[in-house]
Amino acid sequence: MTQTDVDPGTLANVQFRQVGKPLTRTDAPGKVTGRTPYAGDYVMPNMLHMRVVRADIASARLARLDVSKARALAGVACVLTADEVTDRTAATDIPGQTGQKRLDTDQPILVKDRVRYFGEPLALIAAETRDIADHAAELIEFELEPIPGVYDPLEALKPGAPLVYGEDNIVAERKIRKGDVEAGFARADLVVGNTYKTPFQEHAFLEPEVGLAWVDENDVVNIRVSTQVIEHFRPIADAIGVPHNKVRVRGALVGGGFGGKEDLTVEVYLALLAKQTGRPVRLEYSREDSFVGHGKRHPFILTYRTGVTKDGKITALDVQMIADAGAYVFLSPYVVLYALVAAPGPYRVDNLNVFAQAVATNNMYTSAFRGFGALQACTAYEQQMDEIANTLGIDRLELRRRNFLKTGEPMSTGFVPPSAIWTEQCAEKAWAGLGEPSPEKGPIRTGRGLACYQQSYGRLTFLHDTSEAWVGVEMDGTVVVRSGVTDIGAGQISALGQIAVEVLGVTLDNVVIYNSDSAVTPLAGTTTATRALYMTGNAAKQAAEGLRARLAERAAQEFGAAPDEIDMAFNEVFVIDRPEQRMPLVELVRTCAAEGIHRSELAIFRAPFSDFLDPETGQGQAHPDYAYGAHAVEVSVDVETGEVEVLKSIAAHDVGQCINPAAVEGQIQGGAQNGQGYALSEEMLYEEGRLVTPSFSEYLMPTAMDMPNVECIILESRSGVGPFGAKGIGEPAMTAVAPAIANAVADAIGVRVFEMPITPERVVTALQQRDAS
Amino acid sequence: MYAPFELDIPTDLDGALAALANGGGKTVLPIAGGTNLIVDIRAKRERPDRMVGLGEVDELLGMDFGPERIAIGGRTTVSDLLRSPEIAQAAPSLIDAARLFGGLMVRNTGTVAGNIASGSPAADLVPPLLVLDAELTLASASATRTLALDDYYLGYKQDARRPDELITRISWPRLPENSANTFYKLARRKGDAITVTGVAVTLSVTDGSCTRARIALASVAPIVRRVKEAEAVLEGEALTPALIDEAATAAADACTPIDDIRASAGYRRHTVQALTRRLVTQAWDRLA
Ligand SMILES: Cc1cc2nc3c(=O)[nH]c(=O)nc-3n(C[C@H](O)[C@H](O)[C@H](O)COP(=O)(O)OP(=O)(O)OC[C@H]3O[C@@H](n4cnc5c(N)ncnc54)[C@H](O)[C@@H]3O)c2cc1C
Repeated sequence: MTQTDVDPGTLANVQFRQVGKPLTRTDAPGKVTGRTPYAGDYVMPNMLHMRVVRADIASARLARLDVSKARALAGVACVLTADEVTDRTAATDIPGQTGQKRLDTDQPILVKDRVRYFGEPLALIAAETRDIADHAAELIEFELEPIPGVYDPLEALKPGAPLVYGEDNIVAERKIRKGDVEAGFARADLVVGNTYKTPFQEHAFLEPEVGLAWVDENDVVNIRVSTQVIEHFRPIADAIGVPHNKVRVRGALVGGGFGGKEDLTVEVYLALLAKQTGRPVRLEYSREDSFVGHGKRHPFILTYRTGVTKDGKITALDVQMIADAGAYVFLSPYVVLYALVAAPGPYRVDNLNVFAQAVATNNMYTSAFRGFGALQACTAYEQQMDEIANTLGIDRLELRRRNFLKTGEPMSTGFVPPSAIWTEQCAEKAWAGLGEPSPEKGPIRTGRGLACYQQSYGRLTFLHDTSEAWVGVEMDGTVVVRSGVTDIGAGQISALGQIAVEVLGVTLDNVVIYNSDSAVTPLAGTTTATRALYMTGNAAKQAAEGLRARLAERAAQEFGAAPDEIDMAFNEVFVIDRPEQRMPLVELVRTCAAEGIHRSELAIFRAPFSDFLDPETGQGQAHPDYAYGAHAVEVSVDVETGEVEVLKSIAAHDVGQCINPAAVEGQIQGGAQNGQGYALSEEMLYEEGRLVTPSFSEYLMPTAMDMPNVECIILESRSGVGPFGAKGIGEPAMTAVAPAIANAVADAIGVRVFEMPITPERVVTALQQRDAS
Repeated sequence: MYAPFELDIPTDLDGALAALANGGGKTVLPIAGGTNLIVDIRAKRERPDRMVGLGEVDELLGMDFGPERIAIGGRTTVSDLLRSPEIAQAAPSLIDAARLFGGLMVRNTGTVAGNIASGSPAADLVPPLLVLDAELTLASASATRTLALDDYYLGYKQDARRPDELITRISWPRLPENSANTFYKLARRKGDAITVTGVAVTLSVTDGSCTRARIALASVAPIVRRVKEAEAVLEGEALTPALIDEAATAAADACTPIDDIRASAGYRRHTVQALTRRLVTQAWDRLA
């Protein structure tokens, strides 16, 4: 169910014809009918099949690696080990995204002598068939001598802990020092302190990592791959030692990303073997490969100490965060930065200390995942708000109301978000959406929880992010959009189409979008960080507006009107207030073509550029802007078995401006599911770094039977910095779900489970501990 | 990767039994829905040289609802159970288990005999069949015998079935008047999850006294098993909360769970007690 609210204040004079309508997405028919090829559907004649051979111990020295039998097997074209790829590393992201302390901490492409995590790749095989490649993998002999590892970030911080690499296990440290925390605590009537723990999480996209690579007639290595980031062509080129213009990444529609296809996955392996063999090579991860083949969500330990007055005003906040970065750095420095900035949540906290660390361990490396650190912070700050409210005996929504950050106020970094802050409106609607309480019976207790969030959209502003899009109109009035943006299933490209046709006054069925080819579509940056709509949507809008201005000028000439009197709608061009003066768009386009008027436009959108946050105080601008909203749930808890059922799940988000409500609702539904699994059932267990939950038999995402109907309340402040005032919804949809559930469980049983996932067993243990004390 | 194997697809029971009898020293396994076996082969836990597909052996299908006994063919799928109003009436616990069994695709192909023969301590259909006093018909090329399901499991993944035998039928007596028969599957999520604790209960009541009690547990011992210690507490008695508590405690004491990734032994024991108490109480409250 979707219910939409717009701000009457800003609605004035804005009337959209395409934007804001639940149009059928341009990618829908192909997907529904099965005609859409995904990266794994591409094959080539003479193609080889690849396989990655991995270490089965998390911390070890590679004492021996003998691939001779595998090389000798009939049908094996190539076996590559670190000996053949010496000194190159699989860098992780586009320039500028790399963190601190990275110099010797990049993951080598293949293990040379030191294994740092379970599943680290030892060798690559290419063979005539998959079966031969699998057989060859069994013929590879290796000996791993165990080295004491460290599997707990708190242990890793202790003096004398085994070192994962470098001089200590600290990967990144960030801090905020704002106001006078000691004075704030002195003014407090009460100080509430708690430690919250969040778990690993697997992205679990439907489509595991897959790609096909070949070297073309110009010696360009082409890679057709499932990725969120086609601009990895640069690190791929660096890794295989060719110029940047000799690698071309062609995306495909992606079967889910969630951050798990933000780093390189199979690309470098494919490129190496395509080059080495001169033949097309294909690599498809099994689900088990995928579980060990990409970084996970960072587990965090978050300690919050909040000073409050009796009437619930926060006077000071001190936060310590420790994130498990796993065995290699990847995006950890940025994930903890996001967590740092998000630490107080959507609340006004003038006296704030935050200290956030990412710590290396021999667990699976951790990296981007929807919410990117800010989600882990939300998990803690929203549980903390409930703990404060309960301690003070103040209504939980009322406590939040007394502290909400308001439009125009400075956030944790001192930056004033440029858009409207509608947390309160969202919270009220979500909370009210719960309706009448569900009945309790026997051992079944019910409870309610609310969580509000602040989540950035757009990348870190010190990365100086840009995005390009090209819009052109054909001789028959149809529209072409070209942009490198990758569509990871959220409707990114369809939204570009909707934006372009809104501006150009044609209908969505008249647009075709070419996307995600690093060589021929204008580079649009990553589909990450809730930035695709904001960045590329703005670029597409700018391009379409540039084109429209030129067309309108020519039409104005034709009609003897001023250009700003011209409007374009439903494939026609006309004079506003004189609708009898009109012509089909196609006629105008032909006139322009005949006169050599440029019928296309390439635009670049630049996010605000800033310097890095002040390293001592953490003050400055971190992101372009922030989205706000709330999630409310009602749960039932069986106090004997500890089973939790989510009965109601209500989301209220200010998306700024909906481009396609159907797509927005899709994100919200998915976010509710993603967050519910994180809160309740998804668990990646490692024993000495070895993953003991390596498949969907053990790793349990909510099924249709576990999900309630998710109600989506969409608010539109039209105040965002995206196209038409849009904000973003990809990450925000998930951020507040888990803490809302945690709060509801605590409300139901009167005791909190401080560690996620809130398994039946943890619920029972918490109840037993309460009864014992 | 799947190691190569031969596949026989006999079209009748004799053919299937003959194929199983003539292994010639090789590992020959029957395969029904394959929802366990294929997973095991892929994980290299099983390496059959040959498999005998049962998909065309129609003698293994069919349900028979006699006045005294109910019998179903070994190839009956979980979905077949769910589609049968007679089963719903005669064996409610089996339906409780079938409803939460795997996902739709697995229910459509996974069979009752496959569930029994897999020998998993978490097999969901087994506790209901145990509390129904089910009996198996085991056939080989040379002989046919019947065996109480209660005597079938010998130890973890060990059973009384000879490699050349098939479970052809599963049968059980109709429940007496005034009986309750239920199953509760406790898992880490609702849909498609391996059971953490499974409890099945049958209670029959005459003249205010419990004439028969059956309690079976899944996932809390090397095999799915009845807890006769707990049944004995209840039989012949007018149940009271204290007595039910005693039975629940006996069940919890009798089980031998282990810690695994899904739950600890302590939690399993706790839930055996809670669920046994709950199911017996609900049954008694309904019947007495
Ligand atoms: C995704 C998934 C979810 C699942 N969920 C559940 C669940 O919720 N609950 C549950 O209990 N199980 C579950 N299972 C396990 C499995 O589906 C069941 O055990 C099913 O009943 C097995 O039946 P099958 O016909 O597929 O057996 P098969 O895989 O064909 O065979 C299993 C074993 O039984 C033997 N066998 C098969 N038929 C006979 C016969 N007639 N006589 C003698 N031996 C025979 C085979 O040789 C093999 O050793 C699940 C499996 C999967 C893959």
